[in-house]
Amino acid sequence: MKQYIIRRSSYSLLSLFLLSLTIFFFVRVTGDPATLLVEPGASAADIAAIHQRFGLDKPLWTQYGLFVWSLFQGDLGQSFYYQTPVFELYLDRLPNSLLLAFVAMSLSLLIGIPAGIMASVQVGRFWDGFGKLFTLLGQSLPSFLVGLVLILVFSVYLGWLPSSGAGTPLHLIMPAFALGWYFAASHMRLTRSSMLEVLGSEYIKLARLKGLPQSMIIAKHAFKNALIPVLTLAGINVVVMVNVAVVVETVFAWPGIGRLLYEGITFRDFPIVQGVVIMGGGMIVIVNLVIDILYAIIDPRIRLES
Amino acid sequence: MTSPLQPATPTTGVDTPGLRRRDLLALAGLGLVAAPVGLSGRVLAAEATGELTWGVHVSLAPTWFDPGEASGIITPFLVLYALHDAMVKPMPGKILAPSLAQSWTISADGRNYDFVLRAGAQFHNGDPVTAEDVKFTFERYRGTSHELMKQRVAGIDIVDPHHVRFRLNEAWPDFLTFYATTTGAGWIVPKRHIEKVGEEAFKKAPIGAGPYKFVSFKPGLELVLEAFAPYWRKSPSVKRLTLRVIPDEGTRLAALKRGEIDIVYSVRGELAEELQRTPGLTLKPALVQGVFCLYFADQWDPKSPWHDQRVRRAASLAIDRKGSNQALTLGHSLITGNPIVPNHYEYFWQPPAPVHDPQAARKLLAEAGHPGGFDAGDYYCDSSYSNIGEAVVDNLLAVGIRTKLRPIERAAFIKGFSDKKFKNLIQAGPGAFGNAATRVEAHLVKDGVFVYGSYPDIDELYRQQAAELDGATREVILHKIQQIMVERVIYTPIWQLAFINGVGPRVGESAFGLIPGFPYTAPYEDITLKGA
Repeated sequence: MKQYIIRRSSYSLLSLFLLSLTIFFFVRVTGDPATLLVEPGASAADIAAIHQRFGLDKPLWTQYGLFVWSLFQGDLGQSFYYQTPVFELYLDRLPNSLLLAFVAMSLSLLIGIPAGIMASVQVGRFWDGFGKLFTLLGQSLPSFLVGLVLILVFSVYLGWLPSSGAGTPLHLIMPAFALGWYFAASHMRLTRSSMLEVLGSEYIKLARLKGLPQSMIIAKHAFKNALIPVLTLAGINVVVMVNVAVVVETVFAWPGIGRLLYEGITFRDFPIVQGVVIMGGGMIVIVNLVIDILYAIIDPRIRLES
Repeated sequence: MTSPLQPATPTTGVDTPGLRRRDLLALAGLGLVAAPVGLSGRVLAAEATGELTWGVHVSLAPTWFDPGEASGIITPFLVLYALHDAMVKPMPGKILAPSLAQSWTISADGRNYDFVLRAGAQFHNGDPVTAEDVKFTFERYRGTSHELMKQRVAGIDIVDPHHVRFRLNEAWPDFLTFYATTTGAGWIVPKRHIEKVGEEAFKKAPIGAGPYKFVSFKPGLELVLEAFAPYWRKSPSVKRLTLRVIPDEGTRLAALKRGEIDIVYSVRGELAEELQRTPGLTLKPALVQGVFCLYFADQWDPKSPWHDQRVRRAASLAIDRKGSNQALTLGHSLITGNPIVPNHYEYFWQPPAPVHDPQAARKLLAEAGHPGGFDAGDYYCDSSYSNIGEAVVDNLLAVGIRTKLRPIERAAFIKGFSDKKFKNLIQAGPGAFGNAATRVEAHLVKDGVFVYGSYPDIDELYRQQAAELDGATREVILHKIQQIMVERVIYTPIWQLAFINGVGPRVGESAFGLIPGFPYTAPYEDITLKGA
């Protein structure tokens, strides 16, 4: 077990190292941030001054070394644009992203799970077809379009909800729905397939032979077992929602981490992009590591096989 | 002592804001004088009330709170006009308007600039603005063109607390243009306060001498400001201003329509039309200093069709400026005919209006040996403005000039343009601060940042004007340069861009368009709520 945990932890560290390397070099491929911080026609001296100020005049490997060294010290660097520590910016926005992710996830589960169950018990009938359509729309409609349509209907035409910003529960409804719908669709699909798998198993057939009512079979015997993969997916999706709700947060001017990432990309603010990606990647790596360890504790075959 | 270069020397009487002595006496006679009179003799207006909220299109950055870091782009001035004040700055009706400097004089040899500070001007913490602050601000300045300015300024003498002298190494006719418009070196910061709290603390909670003081800031999200009643020019009438960042254009318009915000920046195309149609909302186009034009980068290559002036003229005749202006900026952009200098800049020359005549264009092409048109290669443009490029490419195609549109992301476009990597056609959009001379330097003269080739006579004229102290003579030379540029079709103009904004029903005076070429609302102290 100890060896298993050490091996898994090493893989996690390797993943983070590769992530840091990839994001560090990829973000620099996008071009020189100095050109976005000065007016067209700025002198070479002005641009050189910006390079020097942000350490962009140093060789790339030196910059990377400094970046990793700062990471080990818990420092994500200083934003070029905001001239504020990235970690401070990240922490400022984190509560908003957590709140949005929590509400969006709740919505997605509240919609996705019942819809998935209905679709699985009525295969080929109305609810299944409706569920498939719902899934198709949820996963194929771009969230910026969903967001803008919601704003148009509920803010402009009906005047029920504020169009953007944060501060009241009303501000949460539209961004949470726009974000949650995509995930509701994936939760619904997984619930449906998982339920179908469970409903086809021997113990469910036995329950039916014993004459248990359909509602009890679904609620007590099938649903509980079908829920495990859905909750695992939901756990990972929460991390994704916190860190990459870029489009939804931008459309609704929601002050979260996704919008911070958008700002970082827009202004080629390397430290912000690197910081947000490393934090998001770190969260996913840690969640996966914890899941791997828990699986190994629950099922000894996993650690023996690996 | 005063050279002809100097703008009409302002006097206290001209610049004292608020009611005049004569008005006061008249009101006193009627028993109506109730307003308290400030120490400087300035009449304090009624207390500021109410609040206004902006929907801002770009992320607000704390670097914008510090004029010492002005990077040369116009956006930070959106904040600077509220929080800070400058010695001399662009104001309604005047590009070089006396502000914290009540007046200035220039020595006959053009090497000394003497500024007299305005009595009663103060920072938000109550400290007076002094000559020490002016000197400190200049020496601390590290923004755009700081090396150029520090090379040319030999020293700053504090003659007395309200009198400061800038000594130049040699005459520099554009000193005031740089000091007052292109850099942040003349936007005064409080020496005592910065030395006391440190640079970082100053950036987080700036103290300035502007009409609004800092209340709170969430990076990238929101800035809250409050009226500073003792502001020398005028007490602001709106008590609280909130600048909210709303990145999406559609969301900004929705927020304006719902009354969540009162003023919105940058709404384009169909959304601008929607804004115009909505009862209660008002479209507020602001003409900016960005001038769009087409640059014939290959005109110095004898093998290129663009070497022939007739071909360049044909391209100019092919462009339907009026039609695309109507389609893209609802007709609010300005077709001046000057391809690089905006109409409000010092030494601007007004050329004849450009003509749209496709038939004449085809005829010229035939005369130049291209009766069936020709393949003109690539048309490079900043992808943010590819909509303008699409229209021009279509216009050129209509007369037989076949080009391929190459939209390039902004930073890469600027780099490629300045590194002289492009060929064929380049859609330029010079937007830098300055005057006609600074535009000519960057876009026409040998070794200019965006110059692919030059003409010796223009280079010589440029050298002459740079050393010329007589304003009238300098104007003649700069007009001549612009005239040659237009005659030779070095560039062909498209238009001077209008930045489209909107205001809601609660706003009285939005201050859009009051300062020539400034795309945002300023001066802030002129903004009012309806009925106020």
